Amino acid sequence: MNSRAKSVSLTRAIASVFAKELRVEFRSFELLTSTIVFALIVVFVFSFAFNPSAADSRRFGAGFLWIALLFASSLMLQPSFTRERANDSLAALVLAPIDPFAIIAGKLFANFFFLILVELILLPAFSVLYNVPLLGIIGPLAGVMLLGTFGIATVGTVFAAIASQARMRELLLPLLLLPALVPLLIASVGATMGLLSDSRELPSAWVAVMVCFDIMFFTAAWLFGGYLLEE
Amino acid sequence: MNHFGSVVAAYMFIWGILMVYQFTVSKRVSNLRQEVERLKETLERGKRN
Amino acid sequence: MASRIRESIFGQALASVSVSVLIGFAIYGALIWAPTEKTMGFLQRIFYFHAASGEVMILAFCAAFIGNVGYLIRRKIEWDWLAISSVEVGLIFNTISLVTGPIWAKPAWGIWWDWGDARLTSTFVLWVLYIGYVILRRMIENPERRAVVSSVFGVFAFLDVPLVYFSIWWWRTQHPPPLITKPGGLAPDMLKVFFFTMAALTALMAIFIRQRYKLEAVRHTVAEMQIEADYRNEGGAK
Repeated sequence: MNSRAKSVSLTRAIASVFAKELRVEFRSFELLTSTIVFALIVVFVFSFAFNPSAADSRRFGAGFLWIALLFASSLMLQPSFTRERANDSLAALVLAPIDPFAIIAGKLFANFFFLILVELILLPAFSVLYNVPLLGIIGPLAGVMLLGTFGIATVGTVFAAIASQARMRELLLPLLLLPALVPLLIASVGATMGLLSDSRELPSAWVAVMVCFDIMFFTAAWLFGGYLLEE
Repeated sequence: MNHFGSVVAAYMFIWGILMVYQFTVSKRVSNLRQEVERLKETLERGKRN
Repeated sequence: MASRIRESIFGQALASVSVSVLIGFAIYGALIWAPTEKTMGFLQRIFYFHAASGEVMILAFCAAFIGNVGYLIRRKIEWDWLAISSVEVGLIFNTISLVTGPIWAKPAWGIWWDWGDARLTSTFVLWVLYIGYVILRRMIENPERRAVVSSVFGVFAFLDVPLVYFSIWWWRTQHPPPLITKPGGLAPDMLKVFFFTMAALTALMAIFIRQRYKLEAVRHTVAEMQIEADYRNEGGAK
């Protein structure tokens, strides 16, 4: 891996993969529209299944929100490697004189960006449907969403690369991803729940768990992610 | 002897799962060994021809 | 090839017999020799094998992690055999501690499962994660691809272990505490039995991993011989 001449710097390589992902997506908006609709459906379905009162929403809303995001992302992350299969364009990417981690990282940041766009639509809808006012806590909430989403995107992109090499990959990704994200789910729900409560306090222990999660798995992706792309 | 049954159930389960695992692994090994013998024969025959 | 598979029958028999004796002593210690606990009574005797299985599971998953990292660095397929063998054996001990936990909890606390119990709940998450590892391997045909992909997954799963444990532990502190406080300190004799059981189960784990590793080695030999046989057949047809 290191013997290969790296004629392009890592950051530039990551930036160009990132730009390529965005260009592909913005040509059709296929992935984003379906993911947003799916996330909204999950939020709807929860309210039908549990019929929550305003007080219930404050207590369980954080959980609904993150579960909706988790399910949506386990579907959205799927194509980040499999849609390269159609023209075998992944092989071309791997042949480029760049560190293979740049491909993983470029896709990771692109997925992170897409998920943030999904949240920008999901959060207002959630706030209206569940009668949870979010404007007063918008700053800390944004921080929690960014940290949680980055964790999902990191593990999700690596696991999408893993699942794309196996049979039954559509089923495999959520099966591998959801248990691995358990600590992140607990922490993000805990942090969001603290913000939605009357005291509007941001529990620092949960933020610490999220930061740990993000740093640990981003480092692991850096060290080991490249192996997934070798031929 | 309170909850004697629970303790018995727990230890029976432990014994059972260890036995079943041991059995399946040794079964798989012996099946594969037979396969090795069979392949060896085919290869021997191939050499002679 | 074949000589590597054929192991000394005597050595294997000796190992199996001594591990059986160790396990026998451990059962005797847990069920008869150890003093009966005051509040829980006889029921507490589940603890020895339940907790020791949990510890042995962690050891097996550590061995799997070593196998995963070893494969990614050295690229010798034997490391991958160590990894899958350890994961499978770890899952057996994982299942034991998952099943004996509720058997103990029901009479002791009146409920089968307590989500606030950080150890039991994280054991469950580990079970799901490593089942995922086994399923993933079944979905990839090429042995080298399988080794690379599952090694990366194994590294991620193992890194998740401390995070899972601590997040569930913190989560618990925000919830009502468990219904009945658990037995804190153990009597010295109980501790002796516990450590002895752990040693016996560790020895059992080693034997199981070794046997499972051999299975993987034989499988590899069969695959190689199959390729050779196919090659000859095609050559003969020409």
